[in-house]
Amino acid sequence: MTFAQALFMGLLQGASELFPVSSLGHAVLIPSLLHWSFKASDPSFVPFLVLLHLGTATALLIIYRRDWVVVIRGFFTAALRGEIRTDEERLAMLLLVGTIPAAILGVFLENPIKRLFASAYEAAGFLVVNGALMLAFEVLRRRAERRATLEPTSRAEQEEHFAQAERISFRAAALVGACQALAFLPGISRSGVTIGGGLLAGLRHQEAARFSFLLATPVILGAGLVEVPQLFAQGVPVDKYAAGAVLAGIAAYASARFLLRYFRSGRLDPYGWYCICAGLGSLALLHFNL
Amino acid sequence: MRRSSALALGLVVLGIVFLIIGVLYALGVLQIAVSDPHSPHHYTHLILFTVLAVACFVAANFARPKGGIYATDRPKRL
Repeated sequence: MTFAQALFMGLLQGASELFPVSSLGHAVLIPSLLHWSFKASDPSFVPFLVLLHLGTATALLIIYRRDWVVVIRGFFTAALRGEIRTDEERLAMLLLVGTIPAAILGVFLENPIKRLFASAYEAAGFLVVNGALMLAFEVLRRRAERRATLEPTSRAEQEEHFAQAERISFRAAALVGACQALAFLPGISRSGVTIGGGLLAGLRHQEAARFSFLLATPVILGAGLVEVPQLFAQGVPVDKYAAGAVLAGIAAYASARFLLRYFRSGRLDPYGWYCICAGLGSLALLHFNL
Repeated sequence: MRRSSALALGLVVLGIVFLIIGVLYALGVLQIAVSDPHSPHHYTHLILFTVLAVACFVAANFARPKGGIYATDRPKRL
């Protein structure tokens, strides 16, 4: 991998990790489409992915630094007291409940699933499925808005009728957390399925995105940290990879800021259509070997 | 969450079981569902089972009946 390729992959991973468009799908597809010699499914690629994930997780920690201080304090307070009294304590416990299914499924299923579905064809196919899921989430959301007779009001007013992340039920938090396992399939977006799950649980778009990003931080950080020893293997060009990771962090920071602003009134539809078009386009390019 | 001493005790026991499983994975005694069977230690599994154990202990504290004879809010004797 050249220095320019490392920077490009860092930018791509950082931006696509938080957008509901699947970073893994893009990391599998784009090198194949550009006929680059390395593949994201290659074991030698793992140290690079580790650093990119650490870059993304750092960006999320910076954005939500105040939330994390409150959440960690709330966790210890509620855990020691054996009772939840504040919204912050409830959010802390919701994040714990949401992280556990993702951690269990991640440890036991991630590698077998990634090995099974590592080809560019499958990534392109799942990207189409991801797009269809995003559109389906919005269809169900619009139905919920109609049921609540919110149609004629403005988007901002419509969103006000839905809940904040702290109000989600524990069962819904566990289900949203378990949805993250779908993202082991290259082409299915972790943030997409968790934001969609949050919408189904009755959260506002912006709150669903916030819950998704908070939920992703320990998973991305944990997955990165446990692989850190691989960085010290011989022959790993850490400087080149670190430059990619810094760019990934900057891209993740910018994309998280953009998405939190966008989801004040925006929906998942544009990302759904993008995934369907990108997936179908990639399938055509791969089929005709262009 | 329903409060009961039996549930709290069950969760503590489950937490201890998770800790033991985690240690067995870390020592390489357990090799079930591991990504690399040749690796002698599975620290990822240790971290997972430690998190599960912590969650069980927290849940046990939530399930533990509060109050009793030493509760501060017991009615004052007239």
